[in-house]
Formats: sequence, C-alpha cells, structure tokens
Amino acid sequence: MTKYFLRRTLQAIPLLLLISIAVFTLMQLIPGGPLTAYENNPNISADDLARLQEELGLNVHKHIQYWNWVTAILRGDLGTSIVTKLPVRDEILGRLGNTLYLSFVAFFGALLISIPIGIISATRQYSWFDHLMTTVAFIGQSMPVFWFGLILIIIFHTTIKNPFTGGPLFPGGGMFTIGAPFALDDRLRHLILPASVLIFFSLGSHIRYMRAGMLDVMHQDYIRTAHAKGLRERAVIAKHAFKNSIIPLVTIIGLEIPGLFNGALITETIFSWPGMGRLFFTQGIERSDYPIMMGILMLSATLIVVFGLVTDVVYAFLDPRIRFD
Amino acid sequence: MFPRFRISGIRMLKVFSMFVALVALVQCAPAPTATPAPAAPTSPPAAPVPPPAPSATSGPTRGGKVTMAMWQSPVTLNGMLGTQTVTGEVRVFVVEGMTGVAADGARYPMLAKEVPTVQNGGVSADGKTITYNLKEGVLWSDGKPLTCDDFNWLWQARLAPGVGVVSKTGYEDIEAVECPSPTKVVVKYKTFYAPYLSLFNESLPKHASGDLKDMAKWEYNRKPLGTGPFKIDEWVTDSHVTLSRNANYREKDKPYLDQVVIRIVPSSEVAVQLLQSGEIDIMWNNTEAELPLLEKMQGVKVSQPLQIGGERMFLNMAENKDPSDPKKPHLILSDVRVRQAIEFGMNKQRIIDKLLFGKAKPGSSELNAGFFDCKATPRAYDVEKAKTLLTQAGWTPGADGIRVSKGAQVAPDGTRLRLKYSTTSGNKLREDSQVLTVEDMKAIGVELFIENAPSAVVIGTWDGNSPRRRGNFDIIQYSSNAGVDAHSQMVNLWASSQIPTVDNKGGTNYSRFSDPKADEILKQAASEPDTNKRKTLYCQLTQMTFDQANMIYLYQRFDIDAYRDRLQGWVENSWDNNGWNAASWWMKKTTP
Repeated sequence: MTKYFLRRTLQAIPLLLLISIAVFTLMQLIPGGPLTAYENNPNISADDLARLQEELGLNVHKHIQYWNWVTAILRGDLGTSIVTKLPVRDEILGRLGNTLYLSFVAFFGALLISIPIGIISATRQYSWFDHLMTTVAFIGQSMPVFWFGLILIIIFHTTIKNPFTGGPLFPGGGMFTIGAPFALDDRLRHLILPASVLIFFSLGSHIRYMRAGMLDVMHQDYIRTAHAKGLRERAVIAKHAFKNSIIPLVTIIGLEIPGLFNGALITETIFSWPGMGRLFFTQGIERSDYPIMMGILMLSATLIVVFGLVTDVVYAFLDPRIRFD
Repeated sequence: MFPRFRISGIRMLKVFSMFVALVALVQCAPAPTATPAPAAPTSPPAAPVPPPAPSATSGPTRGGKVTMAMWQSPVTLNGMLGTQTVTGEVRVFVVEGMTGVAADGARYPMLAKEVPTVQNGGVSADGKTITYNLKEGVLWSDGKPLTCDDFNWLWQARLAPGVGVVSKTGYEDIEAVECPSPTKVVVKYKTFYAPYLSLFNESLPKHASGDLKDMAKWEYNRKPLGTGPFKIDEWVTDSHVTLSRNANYREKDKPYLDQVVIRIVPSSEVAVQLLQSGEIDIMWNNTEAELPLLEKMQGVKVSQPLQIGGERMFLNMAENKDPSDPKKPHLILSDVRVRQAIEFGMNKQRIIDKLLFGKAKPGSSELNAGFFDCKATPRAYDVEKAKTLLTQAGWTPGADGIRVSKGAQVAPDGTRLRLKYSTTSGNKLREDSQVLTVEDMKAIGVELFIENAPSAVVIGTWDGNSPRRRGNFDIIQYSSNAGVDAHSQMVNLWASSQIPTVDNKGGTNYSRFSDPKADEILKQAASEPDTNKRKTLYCQLTQMTFDQANMIYLYQRFDIDAYRDRLQGWVENSWDNNGWNAASWWMKKTTP
C-alpha cells in the first residue's frame, strides 16, 4: 500500500507539470490579453499600451514566462495578479473560504438527503416513492441553475414577506447583511437559498447513483443468502448491502470534491456570492489575468490528483477485495 | 484479477475526465465577452456642486443610508492603475479633482476656485501655463490640509516608471508643476496640450499614498483617501464597499447621508428584484430591455441622460487586405457615393424600435452631446436616393437584385457589390442589428455577409490579428465615444498619421480616412487654447467626415440607471458617475 502511494505521488509530479504546460498553452490561445480592456479607450494612447506591455512583462517570450512561473511555484509563490496587483495566493484565499462554506454545506446536504432516498428507491423499486423521487431527481438535474435561482429569489425574496418583520422572507443574495455585526441566524438566512439550489442540482445524480448501486447489490447472491438466513430487511441493507452499493457514489464524490474548491459560477453570480467561480471567470478569464487562471487551474489539478488517491483508499476500505500493489 | 482491472479502469477514467474538465474549463470560457466600452472611458472623478434644491416641500434632512448595486466589482480603486467604469463609480464618492463636468457637459470648478480660461488669466496666451487657485481650507478626510504639493505629487505619480500606470497621456507633456503658495498650482507644459482641462481631475494625498516605486502595493489602491463627501470604510472584493460620511467635507452641512453602501450584484435580473423589494436604492447600468419593467415598478424612478458617441460602422476606405496599404483604395467603399448610399439605405429607426425598445436616438456624428455637440442631423432614411447614388456610381442591379459594377470608380466591371460585415460575436444586440442591416442593404442591392469574431479580436491588437488594425475588413461595427474632451478621439479617428500600418501598429484611424484638410484642422485645434474656437474646428471636421460617410453612426443610447424615489437630490449626468453630486443626496423618511 505504502509503495503504491509513493509511486502514485511520484507519478503526480510529471503529470502536474504536463498539465501546467497544457493549461499555459491553452491560456495563450484565448484571444486578447490583459490590455484588451484598454484597446478601445481614446484616452489611452498606443504609446501607453506599448509601455504597459513592457511594464506588465507581457513582452517577455512565452517560454520564459512559463519558466518564471514554474520556478516561482517551486518556491511556493503563485505570482501576482496582473489586474489587481495583489498576490494570487491572497486573491484565492480571499474567496476560498466563502466557496468552501457554501459548497460543503451543499455537498453534505445533498449526501444526507440523497443516500436515504436512493436506498429507499432501490429497495422499493417502482413504488410511488421511487417514481416520485426519480421525477424529482430529473427535474433537479435538468433545471437550469440560473433560472431556478432567480425563481427562488422572486418567490422567497420579492414575493413572500416575513410575517414578523414585514421584510423579505430571505435576503436576495450576499453572504451576510452588510454592516451588521456577525449573527448566526443572519448567515443561515443568507445561506439557505443558494445552498438549496446547489443541493437540488446534485440531488439528481446522487440519487441515481445510489439507487443504481443499491439495485446492483440487491440482486447479488450474498444478499439472497442474507435474506434466506432470516435477517430482517433493515439488517440486510445496513450490514451487507450498503457498503458495497456506495462504491459508484464514492467515485462520483471523489471526482466532485475537487470541484467544490472551484466554486459554482452560476450560483455565485445569481446570489452575489464572492467565491472562486467569479474570481476565475470575471477576473481570470474575462480580464485575461494569466496568473489567476494558472493559480486556480493548478490548484484544481492538484486537488483532482489528491482526491483521486483518497478515493482509492476509500475503495480499499469499502471493498477489502480491492488491493493495490 | 478482477479488482486490478477495475481500478485501472477507474483510474483511466479519472485521468481522462480531469483533462476534459480542465480543457473544458479553459475553453468554455468564451473569449472575453468584452462589453463595449461604456460612456466616459476614464471617468474623471467629479463631485458635487450644489444641484437645484430638491423640489419636495420639505428640505433635505441629515442621516440615512443609500445602497447601490453594481454588476461588476472594481479591480482597484487607484484611478492610475485601472480605468474601469466601476472604479470611477466608487471613486466619485471619495476623490475630487480641480474641475468636474456638469450635466450639460460644461466644466465647473470643484477643488479649484474657478475653471481656468484665457479670459480669467488662468490660461496663458500661448496656452502652455495653466494656473489653478485652490479653494480655501479644503481638508483630506483625515483632517490634513490639501495643498499644491499634492498636485505636484499626482503629476509625479502619473509619470512613475515601471509600475503599470495606465495612461500618462497629457501628463507627459508637463514640464513642471510649481507651487508658489499652498493654494496656487501652476502647471507648465512643454508643448501646448489642448485637453488640459482633462488633467488633474483627481487628487492624490502625498501623505497617504507611499513610495512611487511601490505603487502597485499601496494601501491607497484598496482604500483611497480623498477630499470628497464620503470616505471608504471597507472594501471586500466581489462583495461590497462601505463608505461613511466625511465630517471634514468642504461644504457646510454636507453630505446629508451617513452612509453609502455599494453592493456587487453580478446578475442584473437579481438586482431588479432587489430594487423592487427595496433592498437596494440604486441599480447601476440598466439595459433598454429592462425599461418596461422598471418604468412600471412602483416607487422607482429611471434616470436616462443621453450618452455621447455610440454604435457605429467603420467603412474601410483602403484596400481590404492583410496588411492593408492605405495608399490603395478599397475596391468598392473608396467611392463616397457608395458610402453615402449605404447610410441612406439604413433604417436606423427600425433598429432602435425593434431592438432598443424605441429608447435611443439615430446616430448622427461623433460629437453628438455635451460641450462639443455639433448638432448634426442624421442622414434621413431614403431608399430611392440610395439606389440613385449606387446607379450613378456605376453599380447596376444584377439578375438576383444584387448590384454589379459597370463603369465603377475602382472595381473592374462585373464585380459583385458584396461586402464583409463584422462585429463582436456574442453580443446579441449587435448581432440582431446586423440582421436588420443586411435586410436593409439587400433592398438597395448591396450584399453583406456576416463574419464575426470575439471582441478581443475585433477590438484587439495588430499582433492579435485584429482586422480593424490590419485592414482586412470591409465594415466593422462597435461602440466608441469621444469622452468629455473630444481631442484624443478626433485625432485617433481622422488624422492620417493614425492610420495603422506595419510601422504604426497602434494606429487608430481604422477607416483609413486621409485628407490633408482634416490634418490641418486637427493641427490647428491641437494648438488652440480657446476651447470654444477648438469646438468650431472640430465641428468643421465633423461636417467634412459626415459628408464622407466613412463612419456610419447607428444609434446613440441613454445611460439608464434606476433608483427608488425615497432617494432625493439625484441629478442625471452622463458625463460623470452616478454619485457625482452625492453630497446633496438625502433620504426621505419613509412613513411606515
């Protein structure tokens, strides 16, 4: 096992290097650059633009830019944002907390809801409950997040009033009431709508995977044996079926967790949530802030590798037949 | 056996999906959906001059808080390091300059006692020395006095090398900023700089900025200190900026408000909901499409001053080639009759009615608002005239109705009247307007084919293969505006020295307009200290270019902002940011 992890970790180094080259190259292919925002401004002269090219280091040859970036990374320096002039590390840390707060609440919320639903759906296959939940799952997955988020705001912010205060039932975005001192209930009120959107969205796939995994296991011989030896349904599911049925879901979760760090661009946009998705999109991509893009993409690449490894450990734990050597 | 196989399968799947995810991440990021530069590019910070007293029966009262929603977050609050409109929208509450621009586009004194002119002695006869007298007793919000030294410092900061100051235009032409007394600022130029009033419309506290070479790291960039009515308490990127009353503000009893909160609300659909529920008081930067909803909304007023500039088509007068030789004429568009015919054949009003909810004015010329307004009348929509002009120019309808040359100026006989028509892809309004224009042109026998590109390419650089720079285009459409002082824009668009070529990659005369008379007018204007005379010269040039029809102005939009009517004292001003007169804003007490 140890040898296996050592090997995997060593393999990750060239892999990440390769990814960084791929990402860096792809980034350069995006048309425009950090100065595009100034191109159509009559008060910024061609001389100004040429000077800025120089001052921002955009004239430096691409492979040297890449080399500088890699060597800085090895020193633990993610670089400085071209647009805001702030260290990329600070930019990311400034949003990461907000993003993890929202995405982990949604993540665990979705798991807590979808696992039991998936199990019940599978054990009572084709019952009304199963049909209802399958429908709900499909609705959740196929509803566009921006539309659903907006509808929630229209209903729970604009339309329905809080019967006690007369104000809106839920706030229409943001993480907390600006200017107010910290209050737990205020935070929760701001969290409910965006978290619901995210939960509802991932509910669909989670229920489907849990249900499919469970159905698969329920038809195995050892489950029949367990039934035959007189175990109660509950015990069969909890003791024999559950652990084996969850492997497909674990795979999905393993792929999903690194994504939680990236933020949810659309939900963040609708609910004015200052998270990673907006940092990556509006500052990174729209303004061609290369260091920000590189920083975030490499962070997620690293997380994907790390959680790939973690997923493997979980497999071994769930199914002792799985061995690594 | 079985487990091994399974693991490697999953692992492959994971590695593969990781790549897919990364590639997708980068690629689905459509090239910057770059929004067209909104009005007032380098919005000069401006501020309050008392507007007409509120007409309400009760006068202004102290206290209260105003919340404004903006869809974009500033990247910096240092106006030297960024020119975003939203940077200006925040700075306007805090930072003041020598002069400001009022609603009619005229300058008014802000920190200066009066706007310097030749008549009042503020501008020397040769225009190279400008003298400002500062108002007495102006304090920074930290209580320190504002002095001439701060303006000398501003000039030095603008010229700081290697720190990424965006624009040095104008400041580079200054020889010295002298301080004969703490309240007298004498600016000496090396050469006359016509838009001298556009400079020093900001202020920079020498005591609260830092070492010039560290400008990128200044605390000031996140929390600028100013002399304006409000001071910044906190800025959380992508979330909010909170500002509170500056007790040291130079006008007595003002500002009336205690607090201004700027919330970043990236979705305008959501901002409309927040405006309706009253969670915000001001919604910045609305579109025409939102007007019907906003106008019906109870307790909400819509502010809509006319913008300067607007959407236009650049017609390439030189050959369509990469790179284009400006000496060689365009096969079709070099004939002025064809260019005029195209404009006569354009139903601008239809675009406005169908796509802009009737809320825009047909475009007329570059200078269509404010002090430099030349009041040109748009070319009327006249299909017959368009057809006659084309026939005169040697283009007669072919079998399918599209014209073919016979005896045209440049095109050999048998050339089809077919032109490439490009704009920034992904901009729905523009793409829809293209459809209407193509229809209009077909009606007069001109065939347009659409070939769009991301805005970063269309409005890009020579090395980024921008067609407007290299000249491999027939017609390109996007928005631009001259800003408060038309000088730069006039030179950029019409001076022959500005035609982009291999040796002048940064050139900005995209339609390749070249006329010695125009160059002469621009030269005269560039050395004219009297702004009124300068305007006359620009209007002459505007008339000339109007006749040439090498730039077809489609429509002039309005600056649409919405606010709840409990906010009093709002004055529309498309020349400055919403908060330009925030010192005079106050909140009507709501009766529950």
